[in-house]
Amino acid sequence: MRANPTLALTWAAMKMWFRDRQALFWSLFLPLVIMVIFGLMNFGAFGRVDVGVIDLADNPESQGMLAVLEIVEALDITRESDRASALSALERGERELVLVIPAEFGSSGGPAAREGTGGFPPVTLEVFYNEGQPREYQVGLAVLRQVTDELTFQFTDADRLFLIDATPVESRNLRYVDFLMPGIVAMAIMQMGLFSVAFAFVQLKRQGILRRLLATPVKPVSFLFAQVVTRLTISVLQTGVLVGVAVLFFDVELAGNILSILALALVGGAVFISLGFAVSGWARSEEVAAPIANVIALPMMFLSGVFFPREAMPKILQNVTEYLPLTYLADSMRSVAIDGATLWSQWVGLIGLAVWLAVSFVLAVTLFRWE
Amino acid sequence: MTDLSPSPGAIIEVRDIHKSYGNLAAVAGVSFSVKKGEVFGILGPNGAGKTTTVEILEGMRPPDSGVAMVDGIDVRSDPRRVKSVIGIQLQSSAFFDKLSLAEILQVFGSLYGKRVNPRAFLEQVDLQDRAKSQYKTLSGGQKQRFSIATALVNDPLVLFLDEPTTGLDPQARHHMWELVQGFKEEGRTILLTTHYMEEAEELCDRVAIMDAGKIIALDQPQSLIDALLGRGFRKEHIERLANLEDVFLDLTGRALREG
Repeated sequence: MRANPTLALTWAAMKMWFRDRQALFWSLFLPLVIMVIFGLMNFGAFGRVDVGVIDLADNPESQGMLAVLEIVEALDITRESDRASALSALERGERELVLVIPAEFGSSGGPAAREGTGGFPPVTLEVFYNEGQPREYQVGLAVLRQVTDELTFQFTDADRLFLIDATPVESRNLRYVDFLMPGIVAMAIMQMGLFSVAFAFVQLKRQGILRRLLATPVKPVSFLFAQVVTRLTISVLQTGVLVGVAVLFFDVELAGNILSILALALVGGAVFISLGFAVSGWARSEEVAAPIANVIALPMMFLSGVFFPREAMPKILQNVTEYLPLTYLADSMRSVAIDGATLWSQWVGLIGLAVWLAVSFVLAVTLFRWE
Repeated sequence: MTDLSPSPGAIIEVRDIHKSYGNLAAVAGVSFSVKKGEVFGILGPNGAGKTTTVEILEGMRPPDSGVAMVDGIDVRSDPRRVKSVIGIQLQSSAFFDKLSLAEILQVFGSLYGKRVNPRAFLEQVDLQDRAKSQYKTLSGGQKQRFSIATALVNDPLVLFLDEPTTGLDPQARHHMWELVQGFKEEGRTILLTTHYMEEAEELCDRVAIMDAGKIIALDQPQSLIDALLGRGFRKEHIERLANLEDVFLDLTGRALREG
């Protein structure tokens, strides 16, 4: 039986890749670590509002209100002994809100005072809040207003004019890790394609390995085919592993089809592998290939919405970064993973990636040199 | 006009080849033929055109003009077929990291469409103990020998050796010479380039001396020496009966030194 040079080269390239600890580190281990660290940090999640309470009244009414506040899940109530320590805790950022229940609470404004007269001076609850945490203090204040309104209704027996009919709906609670996972997958594909091809080829050329291969009757295209197929296989494996870890260990719920995600990995892989070939054609040594690959990859890592939504960028930047290949890949992957979009609904991203593939393929063919 | 019919018994036939790089004529009209089973040396200072001549014969680059044939195959029209009947040891080549010597030999075999037994080829160059090693862990002499093993996987008719002993210690050099003589006994044709005249004298049946892109002398080493003596040349000092290399080998032995 004759041995097939293309298959043998592909198998050899695969073995070399899996034995290369650096390659494994950059394309699998590092993206995993980033996902774990950022996933555990859970940036952007809404925490509970820390409320410090100084109860100067300390009577059944104030105790009653505190008991209600403690039930509210959004609040984390800490009883403070005095005003000074409560305010310094607020200044240190340990509290978002400090509530002072005055001594006259319940006695002047309570049910006892309501007899006979139609009106009485309202009791003022003093609240101090941390201006730097608008989301937290607004939630805290809203809860406080609602609780005091409830108490007012109880004390005055006034009829409610409006009622709210709230119905619970099961909805997706998007955590940061859900947002992050598709971005990290896209980033890992970029790093693998760009760096592993650029470095491998510059090294093969510099060491004369490519020249030695060209001294055999093997067709150069067999060798290129082996390299491309190996990298595409790895980008699919990489995606599978990263998505798998996210689903198993971070309870990321995959709304879309995993096959659509793997298909996107293939298309994205092809784009960045071509870019890698272009870089390896341009660069004569690893020392040159590294900065060129970094100049391409680093800005995209931060501009393509891998770590945070592009909506957070200035409008002008959003308009430009929309056309980056990593943006197309990350956005499409995210739509499939989070929103459960189908592959074909991502036609804008797919066309964007196809255009980039054409551009980088032409670049690779023009710039690539065997020697 | 040059005669294009092959000389009888010739496996390599070179007729008036030229190759220029820009304004520089690297090879300016070179003709020679190599007989089957012959060890043929190409000598010359750096930049003489040795490497370009050899690369043309290996099908690595086409000549600008002239004809070069290996085993009756025109290198210009069918370089891949030429490559399939020759074996090449390049002066400075590396092999894949992360693969063992045995795995690299299997890959090279497959490039010729062959399934090979790596052990057999490693034994031919005395590397059978290093089958599982990586290329980069080998000593200089071992690297050169492994390079020759990769050139043997297709059972080549012609073996091209490019400065096979450059940078080797005397023991490794003598070991390499024994290997080359073994290949000659197997009936292979060998074309080698070298900077060591002693090596050419020891191994080559005929040598071509090149300078400035042309062959300036071509004959058996002894005939070239006799011709020089015939022109009245005499060394100022009469050749000693031993030289420093003999002293070195006598003191350190001929056994190979490698890790």
